[in-house]
Parts: sequence; C-alpha cells; structure tokens
Amino acid sequence: MIKEFFKRYTVFPANYKITFGIIFPILLLIIISLMILFAANPNSFQLTSFFGKQSVWFGVSIVSFLIVQSVKPHFYYENAYILYGLLILVIISTSLFDAAGGASRWIKFGGIQFQPSEIGKMVVVFALAKFLTDLRNLSSVYKTITLSFIITGIPALLVFKQPDLGTALVYIFATIPMLIWRGYKPSNLFVVFGPFISIIAASNIIFFSIWMSFVVFVLYFTRPKLINAIGVFISNIVFGTITTLIWNNLYPHQKNRILTFLDPTKDPMGAGYQIIQSKTAIGSGGLFGVGLGNGTQTQLRFLPVRNSDFIISVIGEEFGLFGISAILICFGIVIYWMINYAQITRNQFGSLSIIGFSSIIFFHTLVNMGMAVGLFPVTGLPLPFISYGGTFLLSMFLIIGITQNFINNNFR
Amino acid sequence: MPRNFESIPNSRKYGLIFLCFGLYIILYLQYFNLQVRNYSKYKGKSYSNSVRKIPLPAPRGIIYDRNGIPIVDNMPTYEVKVIPVDVNEKFNYLILSNELNIPQSELISKIENANKYSSKYLPILLKRHLDFEVISRLSENRLELPGILFTELPARTYPSDSKLTHVIGYLRTVSGGFLKNASKELNYNRDDIHGFAGLELFYESDLRGVDGYEYHLVDNKGIDHGILLDENRFSPKKGKTLILTIDHGLQVLVENLLDSLKGSIICSNPKTGEIFAMASAPDYNLDSFVGPIPNELWSNWNTDVNRPLFNRAINGLYPPGSTLKLAASAMVLETNKVSPNWSVNCNGVYSFGNHKYHCWKKTGHGNVNLKHAIKYSCNIYFYQLIQHFNLKTWVEYMNDFGYGFKTGIDLEFESSGLIPNKTYLDEKYTSRGWARGNLLSFVLGQGDVLSTPLQVLKMVNLIATNGMAGKLNLLKSDNIEIDTLDYSNKTWTFINDAMWNVVNGQKGTGEKAKPNKGVARGKTGTAENPHGEPHSWFTGYTTLKNGEQLSVAIVIENGGKGSQVAAPVAKKIFNYFAGVKVD
Repeated sequence: MIKEFFKRYTVFPANYKITFGIIFPILLLIIISLMILFAANPNSFQLTSFFGKQSVWFGVSIVSFLIVQSVKPHFYYENAYILYGLLILVIISTSLFDAAGGASRWIKFGGIQFQPSEIGKMVVVFALAKFLTDLRNLSSVYKTITLSFIITGIPALLVFKQPDLGTALVYIFATIPMLIWRGYKPSNLFVVFGPFISIIAASNIIFFSIWMSFVVFVLYFTRPKLINAIGVFISNIVFGTITTLIWNNLYPHQKNRILTFLDPTKDPMGAGYQIIQSKTAIGSGGLFGVGLGNGTQTQLRFLPVRNSDFIISVIGEEFGLFGISAILICFGIVIYWMINYAQITRNQFGSLSIIGFSSIIFFHTLVNMGMAVGLFPVTGLPLPFISYGGTFLLSMFLIIGITQNFINNNFR
Repeated sequence: MPRNFESIPNSRKYGLIFLCFGLYIILYLQYFNLQVRNYSKYKGKSYSNSVRKIPLPAPRGIIYDRNGIPIVDNMPTYEVKVIPVDVNEKFNYLILSNELNIPQSELISKIENANKYSSKYLPILLKRHLDFEVISRLSENRLELPGILFTELPARTYPSDSKLTHVIGYLRTVSGGFLKNASKELNYNRDDIHGFAGLELFYESDLRGVDGYEYHLVDNKGIDHGILLDENRFSPKKGKTLILTIDHGLQVLVENLLDSLKGSIICSNPKTGEIFAMASAPDYNLDSFVGPIPNELWSNWNTDVNRPLFNRAINGLYPPGSTLKLAASAMVLETNKVSPNWSVNCNGVYSFGNHKYHCWKKTGHGNVNLKHAIKYSCNIYFYQLIQHFNLKTWVEYMNDFGYGFKTGIDLEFESSGLIPNKTYLDEKYTSRGWARGNLLSFVLGQGDVLSTPLQVLKMVNLIATNGMAGKLNLLKSDNIEIDTLDYSNKTWTFINDAMWNVVNGQKGTGEKAKPNKGVARGKTGTAENPHGEPHSWFTGYTTLKNGEQLSVAIVIENGGKGSQVAAPVAKKIFNYFAGVKVD
C-alpha cells in the first residue's frame, strides 16, 4: 500500500528548472538574517546559539525544499481535505500539550519544539484552493464567499484561541486574494468583509482614511451597480464610526480588557514601549545604518524579541534605509514572480495555491515591518526568511518548494 | 485534477501586484519618514537616552542577641561604578582619582580593559564603601564624569559592646573560584559579597536576601534621570533577621575575662543547648574595616602566629586533661567492673613498665576511692583504674560523650577532636609500637587525646542533664533537639556529687570556682603540652534556686593549673549568672 502511495504521488524530478526570480532574493534574505543573528548574539560559533540553530534549520529547510520537488502536485489536491482535517485535530491536540507561558501552540518531539499552526498555513491554502477549484460555476456568490471564510475561519478561530492572533489573521487574510483570483469581484468581497476591516481601521484616523479611499478606488474600478456601491460605502463608514464612537466612550481599563482579549500575550503598555524602542532604533539608523553589530539601541535596550518579531529594528538601525530598501525589494520581487507564475500556471488548484502562498508571505512582511514602525499593533508575526524561528523558516521554505514544484509541473 | 481552468486576465494579476506594491510603498514611506526625515530626532534620542539596569543590593539580615540587642546591623555606604562605554575624552580622571584614592593610570587601564569586551554596557565597580561626602563631591562634578554611577550599598556595622568576633564571622568579596562552586540558587555575581566565616557563612542563604534592580534612563552626560519604567523595578528583599541564643551582657563579661589571654570560654544552658556566650582569644575587631574584609588585612591575620582568625571554641584542639576523668568515671560506674568504693593508695608515683608516672601532688593523696579521685583529681588512682579496662571500652565511653565527633553546632568547619582508637594507634605507631602505657596518659586526657572546648562543654551538659542535653546551638529556636546519653541515674548522681565535691568539698581542686550564690559543680584540668606552661581548664555548671542552669567550658592556653587560673574565671561567670554584683 505504501508502495502504491509512493508510486501514485511521487516522481523523480526531471527537466528541473529553478525560478531564479524567487530563489535568489530569498537566498539574499537568508544571508542578511544569518548575518544579523550572528552579530547580535553571543557565542555565535556554538551550535546552540541563535545563529547556530537557525543555520541548522536552514539546512533542514533546504533538504525539505528538495524532497518536496519529488511530490506530484495532485497529491495536495487529492488529499487537501484530509490534511485539513488532520490540521484541525493537531491544533486541538496542542492544547493538550501544556506549554510554558500559557500559549499552547507548540508540539514537542524530544528536544525539538514544533509549531503546527505554521505548517497549517499551507494546509488551509490547499483546502480553500481545492474548494474553489471544485466549484462548477460562480453563480452563488455570497454562499461561496461565506463558505470560503468558514473554511479558513475554523482553523483561524482555533489558532486564535491558542492564543496566536497573528497566525489567525494570516489564515483569514489569505482567503481574500484567492477569492479574487478565482474571479470574485472585490466588490462582492467588500460587502462581506469590508465592514470588519472598517472596524479595525477605525482605530486610527489615517488608517481609516486610507482604507476608505481604497474602498472608493476599488468601487470605482470594479463598477458595481451604483446603488450597491453606495450601500457598501455607507456601511463601511457606519461600521467604522460606530466602533470609534463606542471605543472612545470606553474607560481605559475596558479598552485594555478588550485589547488583552484580542491578544492576551501582550500587555498594551509593554507593547507600546516596544514600539517606541523599535522606532528609535530604526530612526537612528538613518540612510546607511550604524554598521553590523554596532546597533546600540537594539543591542542595549530591552527589545525582548529582537531576534524574531523585531529583527527588522536591528536591520533598520544597523543597515539603515538602505537595508530596508534591499529587503522590501527582495520581497517585492518574490511576490511579483509568484503572482506571475500563478498566472502562467495552467492549473486551477496550483494557481490558487501559489496566490495563497504569496498572500501569506506578503501579509507577514506587511504586518511585521508595519508594526516595527508603529503602523500596526504588535501581533507577533515574524518576518519570513529573516526572523529567528525554526518551524517558521521550514514552513516558508516548504511554501517556496511547493510553489517551485507547481511551476515545474505546469502544464500537466 | 480538474482542468476547468479559465485563464487569468492580466487586469487581475496587475491589480494584485499593484495592490501589494502600493502597500509596500506606504510601508516604505513610513521607514523613509523615520530614517530620513526624522533621522536627527531619533539619532538624538538614541544618543541621549539609554536604559541602564541598576542593581539594588539587598541588605543582609540583622543579627540580634537573645534579648533583642542588635549585634550586627547595616549602615548605608556607597559604591562608585562606571559604564565603560559611556566614558569619553571629556572624562576627568583626575577628580575621580583624587576622590577615590586610586592612581589615574589604574583607573584608565581598568576602564579601557572593560571597553574591549561586550560587557562594556554593564557597570564595572571602581570602589566600595565610600561615605556620603565623597559621593556628593563626585556628584557635583558629574558633567565631567560621564557614565559614572552611584549605588547605595549597605555595609555591616557592629553596634554592641560585645565583639562576638568569631561567632559572627566576616564577609569577603566573591572570587572566581568561589563563583564556580557556589550554589546556583544563591545567584552570586561578580563583586558580590558573601559570608566567609562564622554565622555569616553558616546562615548565608538566610542572611543574604535577594538583590533587586531597576531600569534608569541615563542621558549622554551620564546623568541619571531616575526610574524609567516603574513596573520593571524589582525591589531588593532584605535578608532574614537572626536572633541568637547569645546573652549580650554575659558575652561582654566573657570577652573581658579573656582580655590579653589566649584561650576560649563558652557558656550554655545545658537543657536547651543554647549558647549564652562564646569567646575565643586573641580575636580581632570586626569594626576595624567597612564591608568585606580587605584582602591584605585578611592575609596578615591569617599568617599571624597568634591566629586571631582562629575560633578556638570550635577549632582549638587541646588535650582535655583531667576534665576527661569525668567521662572515665562514667565508664567505671556503667561497666561495674570496678566498684566505686575500690580504693588506691596514692603515694605520688606509679610505676608501670620501665616508666614512673607521677601524680600532680608529689606527696600523694593517700587512700583514694573514685569520689576522692575526682575531687582531688588524683592521677595515680586513674593509672591503676585503667589497668582494669581495655582501649576499646575506653574509646566507646569517650565517644558516648561526643569526643571524637562534631557537636553539630551551627558553625562551619567545626573540628571533631581526636580519641585515639586501635586503628589510629596502629597507623601512627605500628601495632607493636604502642601499648597500655599510652592508655595511661589517654585516661588523663593527655597524649594523643585532643578535644575542642565545645566538646568539653557538651560533656558537662550531658552530666548536668542526666544525659538529656540540648544540642548546642547559636540560633534561638522553639524546637530543642536533644543529645541523649542513656546511663543509669546512679551513674549521673555519682558524677554530679563528685563534681559538687570538687567545688564545694574541703580542698577540692575547684574550690576557687565556688560562686557567692547558686550551687556550682565542676572539674578542673591541667593539660600538659609541649608549648610551655600547661593549659588551664575548668568545666562545670551552676544551678540557681529557680532551677536555672549555666554550664561553662574554660580553657586558658598555657595558663597553668586549672584550679588556680580557670576556676576563678568560672566563679565570675557563675556569679554574673546568679546576679551577684562583685567587682
């Protein structure tokens, strides 16, 4: 049976092509990451150091990348729901592993900690891609959109309970571009999804303005019926303003309680302090930074997650705007090529999956780099390929590996 | 896989790409805003503001005597530290050098050395235990001393009249070797202070407390802008207070009695084992330095021939002399091999083998039985007596009284003395080299026999309590541990009566110990030793009308006869205990 399984789903990769547009920028990002981890931590020559561990995980990731190449893409398609079911079971079972710090998102194998919700990002994308691929037609628009959000929402809710708000948001966010890619109009999505964004965006007047202009922009280009357009616009405004009104009339402790409910791992005061530290570090980097290992702000102050969530602050201080530009350009190139390959791929499931993957990477970079400069609240999303963290690096490499595999198996 | 693929229109692709890029551009603008437009603001902020973790040393626990009189307290002193990375070319080494009394070159090399390591952000210690005036003068010149830090550091002070030197012990700064072996739980850091001797060492984990810390905002001029985030402060936890069994008044008396002598005096309550006073002379003055003992002073004292650091009460190994006859009497009474009425004619000399053994009284004591032998401390009686016993039995009884073992007092490094047994003698003299002759001197507490004053005290306590003595201890506690010795009441009564005779009987050797009030019992000892005059011993106890007891063990090194030197000292102590005022 195992033999059959391998016969059915694996193949020795032949005519192999590397998509340099994706791989090269990623290798550059890895180099930057290892440099920072090396310089920012003591004992970097030891295997147990941040640098040492991350290097080992990088090796593991490369091997996984190669192994993934021999899996036939239809394996993911045919088993998407099974994997999805397994994911739900595993996430539920992680609550049985009583982890330190109250956050139970880890599974331990011997000495290695493993975070199933990271790998889960892929599985959620597969499940949604299969669901959208199997649709006969696009007639029942709102039913499909709602079902799609239920598919991603269930694991998101479970992950949110862990509590891991960031990853939950990633699951939800990946849904939108995939629906658009499948042919749903943004206006349809706005009707369902827009008001929720309005609620969040209303916390900041600049945000809200940007968001509303974006809504107008989308409405203008998608050209729905005028009455629908006005309806969407007004509902967003109403949701936004009502939230703001309610929010502003809350007592501080009530606000704190809600913030703590949304993200119990962070205390709002502490997070605010981190952002001040992070902004000072980044701002003091200037154009070219103070040089590798010389960042007094990030090395000296207590940015407790300077190796993971706030690694961009170290880069900002030590490499300046130059370093930030390099990183944004790298990510831009990766996203650009992933979307391009998604279009070229003549395979609905593969194409949708690649869009889902690129959304995950994009959302991670946007939120992580945004929170370091105070554009987003601190949610604890790491920066792909750069932040310290084994499972996360592995999951990112699997995403890239599978994308590569889909591209290579393009026309079958 | 289904092939219902509809090709993706370019508009959809570019829509997504532009959306992504658009959001990236907004992100980029914010970075630009921070790093280019507001660069100088943030650069200034980063230059001028630094968060420093400032340690807050925990005061050590205070030590009181049994009546609540403070023996060891803390006083505020200051230490000067510097954060190496903040020291710039403006730094005025001259002022610092003058105030701290450290050569400039030493300061410079110390700071420059520290700057080479990654710990350059952490403060390094320059000098400790400075008084407030020095600190305030340095504070005035703060602008010229960037990176300088002043921390309050509590130091030990000894407010009482009693010195209690050896019991309290002293502190030292942790060394590299110490750090390696120290218990992880105590969390020692470089430059920390720890108890090195006495109670300061024994109760280190209680006395030490837990150091705290707080985060300060320090600007580019090295000026401390105070606590940055209050919630990140961790207050130091003061060490536990110790209440000792020591009686301050008695301790003062005992120390005065030992003034300019060498030796040791210990007083205790036999029933509870509480030590009322413990002194060892010569000693040193804990008040002669502030904070941990300076290394130079320590090595001076350590090499002093009079050994002032040496606690004779628990480490002084003396031949116990005739005081050991009390334990030998117990052997006689418990074994029934020899009747207590069995008597010996002492004519001053006893021949054994080729040797002639003398009594201390050259004319002899005449006819003596066990009771007389104790009263007059007759040697000839014991020489003849021991012929009826073997080494093994003798060793057993000595061990019963705790000789050869630590008493378990709450002080580190107590000595266990020496009761030579067969194994020991075989090893030292080979099995042929020793004989019954050795036992003759052992029974008199001479020869290889060695004991600490504390062990002698334990013996007396066992006698005074009919074998139910409290375990000797220095920390006041409601739980009394009992050292038991299960002998017949007859034995205890006999020994106690004999000791009564020593002090109260006519021509008893201890008659000079008889107090004006209270009933004293005791035994003298005159321990021959190769270092000159014999050591003078007295041990015994007094009982007041209300039943309260006080036991003593006194040894005066090279003091001469116990009956002449140590016994009068005991009298003064007994009188003090009974409340008699005698000059």
